[in-house]
Amino acid sequence: MPTRTPHTDSGSAPGPYRRTVSALRLVVVGGALSYRALFNWTTPPMFIGTLLVGPLLQLLFFVFLGRQLHVADDRFYLLGNAVVSASTACVYGGTMAVANERRYGTLGAVLLSPRNRAPLWFGRAIPYVLNGLVISVFTLSAACLLLGLRIPVEALPGLGAVLLAAAAGCSAFGLALGALGLRFRDVFLVSNVASSVLLLLTGANVPRETLPAWMRALGDVLPLTHAADAARQLSAGGGLDGRGIVAELLTGAGYALLAVVLLALFERGSRRRATLDVM
Amino acid sequence: MLAIEAKNLRRTYTSRTGFLRPRRTETEAVRGITFEVACGELFGLLGPNGAGKTTTIKMLNTLLLPTSGTARVLGHDVASDPVAVRRRIGYVFGGDRGLYDRLSALDNLRYFAELYGVEPRDQKRRIGELLDLVGLAGREKERVEGYSRGMRQRLHIARGLLHRPDVLFLDEPSIGVDPVAARDLRRTVADLRAGGTTVLLTTHYMAEADELCDRIAVIAGGTIRALGTPDRLKSRVQERGILEIEAYGAGEEHLERIRGVSGVHGAAAEERGSRQAVIVQTERGADLHGQVLAALDGVRVGRVVTREPTLEDAYIAIVEEADALAPTDVPGPTDAPASTDASGSTEVAA
Ligand SMILES: Nc1ncnc2c1ncn2[C@@H]1O[C@H](COP(=O)(O)OP(=O)(O)OP(=O)(O)O)[C@@H](O)[C@H]1O
Ligand SMILES: [Mg+2]
Repeated sequence: MPTRTPHTDSGSAPGPYRRTVSALRLVVVGGALSYRALFNWTTPPMFIGTLLVGPLLQLLFFVFLGRQLHVADDRFYLLGNAVVSASTACVYGGTMAVANERRYGTLGAVLLSPRNRAPLWFGRAIPYVLNGLVISVFTLSAACLLLGLRIPVEALPGLGAVLLAAAAGCSAFGLALGALGLRFRDVFLVSNVASSVLLLLTGANVPRETLPAWMRALGDVLPLTHAADAARQLSAGGGLDGRGIVAELLTGAGYALLAVVLLALFERGSRRRATLDVM
Repeated sequence: MLAIEAKNLRRTYTSRTGFLRPRRTETEAVRGITFEVACGELFGLLGPNGAGKTTTIKMLNTLLLPTSGTARVLGHDVASDPVAVRRRIGYVFGGDRGLYDRLSALDNLRYFAELYGVEPRDQKRRIGELLDLVGLAGREKERVEGYSRGMRQRLHIARGLLHRPDVLFLDEPSIGVDPVAARDLRRTVADLRAGGTTVLLTTHYMAEADELCDRIAVIAGGTIRALGTPDRLKSRVQERGILEIEAYGAGEEHLERIRGVSGVHGAAAEERGSRQAVIVQTERGADLHGQVLAALDGVRVGRVVTREPTLEDAYIAIVEEADALAPTDVPGPTDAPASTDASGSTEVAA
C-alpha cells in the first residue's frame, strides 16, 4: 500500500467491551431504523387499523361466536385472542424485515456489510417483539373493559411475562419465515398461510382437545400455543405455570436458531444463484 | 500487494422460465477475465450493455461467487474470505433502486454507517461531510421517496464512501446526475485516487473514462478485448482519421454505403437532438470527403469536420471489431486481444 494506512482492520482489534457495545448498537439503533424502513404498517392509520382494531374485532367475533355455540367461555377466547393478536405484527413484521429488502433493491448493500449477521437480523426482530406486546396488552385491556372480564391484579406481572414470551417466540418464527425471502419471491404467501395456521393450531380459538392428534402435535411446536395455555391459567387465578412459559421460550429459541441457519444458508446460496436482484 | 487480481474469472447465470414446463437458460455473462489493478490505481471497465461489467464487479465485491477462476482483493480471496474483503471495499451502483424510500437520506446513511462499521463517534461528522460532498446538505431530512433520480444517485455515492474504503467499486456512478454534479463527482473520484484509494470504475461516458482512468479494459461479450492506458487504446486508431458529418436523416443503408468506400474503416451515426453526427473512421491522410458525401446522396448534410480520434472512437473500433470477429459465437479468453497490454499495465501503476 503506497500512501496511507487503512483505517479499518487496523493492527489493534477492538476489545471485547467495544465489540459488545457496537453489537448492541447494531441491535438497537439498526433495529429501530430498519423497523421504520421496512415495516409497511408504521403510519398511524395502518397501525391503528391493521394492528389494533383488526385483532380486537377478531376477538369479539370469536367471543360472540363461542357464546352462541357454547364451546367455551369468554375467558377462553379472550385470552387466546389476546395472545394471538401479536401474531400479525410479529409474523408479517419478521417477514417484511427480510423480504421487503427485495422491494427496495437494498439486499446487496446490506449483505456487503462485514458485520456479524446475528445482531444484524435479530436487531430487526426486536421492534416486532415490542410491537406485538403492545398489541396484546391493548387487545386484552380493551376486551376486558368491553366485556367486563376481571383479571386478578396479582396475575398481571405473570401475564405480562407470558405475553412477552409469546411475542418474542412469534417474532423469531416470523424471522424464520422472512429468511425464506432471501431465496423465494413470494414469501408473503407463506406468512398468510402461517397466520391462519397459528389461528387454528395454537388453540387460541379452537380448544386443542377437539383437534386430531397430528394437529395437536403440530401446535406443540408452534409459537403462542404454550403461552395461550399459561395466560388462561393465570387469568383464572391459577398462578404462573413455569413450564408453560419455559416451553414457549424454548419454542421461540428453536425458531431463532432456525432463522439464523436459514439466513446464513440462503445468503450463501444467493451468491451462487444470483437471486438477490430478482424481484 | 495488488489491490485487485482477477484470474480467469467466469460466471454463468442459470435462470428458469415457465412453471409447468420449466426451461433452463444459461447465460455466460463473463467468460474468463484476467486483469490486475495496482494499489492506488484508477481502473476503468468499459463495454456495451450486457458485456459483463456489473457481473465482474459483483464477483469482485463478493456479492456473486465466480463459476470458475479466482479473484483477490487486497490479498483476500473473494470466494473464501468475503468478510475480510467487505471490510475494505465500497460499492456504488447506478440506478434509483437500492435505498430505503421510507427513510430520509440521513437515516439511510445512519443505518449503513452501522452496517459498514463506522465508529459511532465518527458517524455524525462523517455523514455531514459526505452530505456536503455530494450536495445533499439541507435536504437530508426528506424522505428518499421524494428524491429525484440524480439525488438518489448522489446518496448512493455518499453511502459507498461512508467507511472510507480502500478499494472502491463504482458501477456507473454518474448515471442520471446533471453535468455540474458529474464534474464534481469526477473531481471527488480524482481526489480519492490522489488520497490513495484504488478505484474500479465502469461508465458509458468516454470523456469521463479518458479524464479519470489510469488504465482501461474494454470488455465485450464477457471477454476483455483491449487493455491499456487511454493513450494506448487511442493509438489503436491513431493511424486513422475521423470525418464527422452533420446530417439529417441518414439511415442504415447510407452507413452501409459509406462502409463500402475503400479507405473507410467504419461508420456510425449518433443522434444529437434533431440532427445526427455521422462519424466515419478513415485511413489517416486519405481525403475521402467527396466519396463519403456522395454515399450520403439525398441526405441533407451540414458541417463536415476532420478531427483526431478520441477514446470514444477507439472504443467504438474495438467493440465493432469484436462484433465482426464473432457476431454469434464469442471467442474464448485465449484468443481475445487482451494481450495487447501486458506492458501497459506496469508503466501506469501509481
Ligand atoms: N441475475 C441474473 N440472472 C440472469 N442473467 C443475468 C443476471 N444478471 C445479469 N445477467 C446477464 O448477464 C449478462 C451480463 O450482464 P451485466 O449486468 O454484467 O452487463 P453490464 O456490462 O453491466 O451491462 P450494462 O452496461 O447494461 O450495465 C447479460 O446478458 C445479462 O442479461
Ligand atoms: Mg451494469
